[in-house]
Amino acid sequence: MSSGRRWRPLFRLPRGRRAVARDIEHQLDDELAFHIRMREERLTQLGMSPDAARADAVARFGDHERIRAECLTIDQQYAREMTMMDWLESVAADIRFALRTLRRAPAFTVISAITLALGVGATTAIFTLVNGILLRPLPYPHAEQLVRVSQSFPEKGLDSWPLSQQNTATYKKDVTDFVHFGAYTLRGVTLSGNGAPERLLAVQVTGDVFSALGVPAFVGRTVVDSEVTKASAPVAILGYGFWQSHFGGAASVIGKTIDVDGTPTRIVGVMPNGFSFPRRDMPLYLPFAVDPNRRFGWYLAGIGRVKPGIAVVHAERQATTSMWNWARANSNLLWPKPFAPESTHMHAVVTPLQTAITRDIRRPLLVLQAAVALLLLIAIANIATLVSSRAAARTPEIAVRTALGASARRVARQLVTESLVVALIGGVIGIALAIIAVRVFTAWSASALPRIREVGVDWRVLGFALGVSVVSGILFGLAPAVRMARGRRLADDLAGTQKASARGAARRLNNAMIVTQIALSLVLLVSAGLLIKSFRRLIQTNLGFEPRGVLTMSVAFPEKKYVDEKPVIQATDVILQRVRALPGVRAAAAATYVPYGGVTTDGFLVEGREPPTSAGAETQVVQLGATPDYFRTLRIPMRYGRDFTTSDRDGTLPVVIVDEAFARPFWRGQDAIGKRMRFTGDTTWLTIVGVVGGMRDQDAAQEGLPHAYTPYAQQPGGPPVLAIATSGKTAPVLADVRRVIAEVEPGAPLDNVHVLSDAVADALSNRRMTETLLTSFALLALILAVVGIYGVMILYVTSRTREFGIRIAVGAEPSRVVRLVLREGIVLGLAGVTIGIVGALFAARWIAALLYEVSPTDPAVFVGLAIGLLVVAVGSCYRPARRAAAADPMLALRAD
Amino acid sequence: MADAEIDLLRSSLDLLILKALSWAPMHGYAISEWIDDATRSVLLVEEGTLYPALHRLERRGWIAAEWGVSENNRKAKFYSMTPAGRARLRAESRVWQRNADAIAGVLRRTSSDAS
Repeated sequence: MSSGRRWRPLFRLPRGRRAVARDIEHQLDDELAFHIRMREERLTQLGMSPDAARADAVARFGDHERIRAECLTIDQQYAREMTMMDWLESVAADIRFALRTLRRAPAFTVISAITLALGVGATTAIFTLVNGILLRPLPYPHAEQLVRVSQSFPEKGLDSWPLSQQNTATYKKDVTDFVHFGAYTLRGVTLSGNGAPERLLAVQVTGDVFSALGVPAFVGRTVVDSEVTKASAPVAILGYGFWQSHFGGAASVIGKTIDVDGTPTRIVGVMPNGFSFPRRDMPLYLPFAVDPNRRFGWYLAGIGRVKPGIAVVHAERQATTSMWNWARANSNLLWPKPFAPESTHMHAVVTPLQTAITRDIRRPLLVLQAAVALLLLIAIANIATLVSSRAAARTPEIAVRTALGASARRVARQLVTESLVVALIGGVIGIALAIIAVRVFTAWSASALPRIREVGVDWRVLGFALGVSVVSGILFGLAPAVRMARGRRLADDLAGTQKASARGAARRLNNAMIVTQIALSLVLLVSAGLLIKSFRRLIQTNLGFEPRGVLTMSVAFPEKKYVDEKPVIQATDVILQRVRALPGVRAAAAATYVPYGGVTTDGFLVEGREPPTSAGAETQVVQLGATPDYFRTLRIPMRYGRDFTTSDRDGTLPVVIVDEAFARPFWRGQDAIGKRMRFTGDTTWLTIVGVVGGMRDQDAAQEGLPHAYTPYAQQPGGPPVLAIATSGKTAPVLADVRRVIAEVEPGAPLDNVHVLSDAVADALSNRRMTETLLTSFALLALILAVVGIYGVMILYVTSRTREFGIRIAVGAEPSRVVRLVLREGIVLGLAGVTIGIVGALFAARWIAALLYEVSPTDPAVFVGLAIGLLVVAVGSCYRPARRAAAADPMLALRAD
Repeated sequence: MADAEIDLLRSSLDLLILKALSWAPMHGYAISEWIDDATRSVLLVEEGTLYPALHRLERRGWIAAEWGVSENNRKAKFYSMTPAGRARLRAESRVWQRNADAIAGVLRRTSSDAS
């Protein structure tokens, strides 16, 4: 009888484990005693005396104790297995029963499962990112021992100060906490020999970088420090992808020679597929020898492996001590007079490599993770109201079961099982949603996030998703289940006439859920609102230049041919003249750096002013060479004085143009013109001939550094980067420019070709991602909350149909009933919004670091969204209210 | 006794119990009598060793136990064969038969070779 089977687990009488154990022993003793008695009787029948028969029967039975013990062990195991089986069977029965029940309520099942799927999907998707980027160790052996090393000297305006070759050598020698210590830098190189010269971004590394990372070569070998010297022949190690694309993955590549910047370089190894340093898919590693006597030139990033068990802070202290010793010996490099480094804030910065790589994205990711957690809670609150309203409708069914002997616990368990089944269905759909979302996301933001290509769904993500689903199921299933399962009166339940107190309890739970949903939605909405507002501010920030329609690209003149600055200057001039003549070109110029392309800075002195004497007095200035028309090309406003001209060249008066950020502390308006300044690293005094507007050329969110421009023809300071302002489309202009450059110098490949406005947008991509995702989560939360409020109000109205009917019957205006329901909505809405504002204040403080020129308590955002949400919440009560007003008095009275 | 001999005894005892129960449900004492008769008292040196075997077979689901009343009106635990036990008996006896034939054959051949 299948229906009997369904009910059976519900009526099982619980039996204590000790009672079961006693029972087993009794039965066993009875069984063995029976055997001996039977044998004894048989022997007596055969003529033995009772005593002899007894003794013989016992003897023939054998070792009674051993046999009894053996049987007992078997029986106990058997009993345990049976209990387990029973339990599993009852769970299976519960699940079957739950599935049957859910199939009878498809609307409830589908809505709850989808609601939860949205919550679990969003939570899992973000957790996949958090897991892949923040939690999973970097792909090196014992990655936790790897650190990045840089330096900081706040008094000099150097917050993140790279290492010089001498610094690198000093740390390697002094810091015994490091097992290995190396340094690297990225450098654009020209690869020639095979057709057109090709520009590559190569990693210059010291041999110790390979030792520190601990990743052996896939083919051939890597190098160690001792074999790389100034005199040794240059070698290269290839990245896997480059090896595949340029050498077809042939092992014979080892020993071959390639031409890097005109230098024949022997290939000694290939790194394995997936090797990622400092990012994935670097084509070329070029080992170089550190020159311990090179005091100038700070451009290296340090990579160390600390000894096992050594704390990073310990290594940092050791490195800082070494840095101070170096600074004392080289104080003339850093400061006009001797100084005590330990009295400044100068220190070495040793950061775990994983932290260093993920620093910028950590906070946004955690904010998003918190946001989806709130979204999930809203989804859970939503489902909880559905579950409890359903439970209310099932009161008679449960009453029958309770009356037939099912314990409250048992009924609660059945109800929770139902919720868990819903939760798991939702969870599985959610995981599928998350996998799709992560795919889409990684394709969308491939270049913006660190480690994004390591992101994927793994066991940890799956475990997380299932755990979240199960906990959700318990959360939204338990409260209604417990409430339903206890304290009922059968007659009431069967008749559907609950005590007012029971109905009150149900209402209270639903109201609490509504208030929770409104409050959580407001937290999300306010957080998203603050981010949107600050992002708007950010993209409207005046950068000080016009990036739209400006093409930038660097031209890599072959080093062997252009040993001197002169031919570079000349070729640049020729290229610019021809480019200016091209159709669609508004203006063109060249500079050592263009905005969003990285800069170098230097200290400076102003003639007639005291050199900075004390800590905190020195600022860094961005130093760059620029050709005439540079300011017009980027639409940087010329405030005073003049632009460079073709007569500012080698041999004429050394001049400089500074920006307002530079001039402001020293002069007012016109006064700067004619004054002189020089860079700390140079002895030539430069006469200021112009003042231009300042600009934010690194990060729109940060006040720009002071800039000092020198004529490219007087002091190039590096290979040229072209800036070409177009008046129409950039693509045809770019094709023309390529042609022009190929005509002037066929051996010079183009590099870093960008549309400047794209570079500006890319620099904001993390913020854009956080803003977009948070906004979509907030909107999703809003939709869930509205649906939840609507559902609960409908329930509320339905449960009071009779009351409303009576009111209307005795002459109440329907509009009064509408007001009554709306008032209920307003009370709940106000409660939710009030709690939400408090929550949002906490949340806003936490995301303050992500905000730009928006206060975390921005009144417009708080008040606007609170009122908006209140209106939406009350608005979603309107239809239920109309329904209440339409209650037919006669129908209502007959309802029972 | 050597382990191998115990194993052999145990598996043959299991087989004999199943065989005994294939006729009718029996209590432990009756099974021991049946085995005694059938094997001329070779196998069951200690009658008690029957019981762990019975309990083991019950746990594996080959036989089922039930309390009943014996022929002389005593409360006794009766064992009966389950369908799974019947299948087991069939399979085991085939294996046993084949092994016994093979071993007997080998023993016959070597003894005739030796003579």
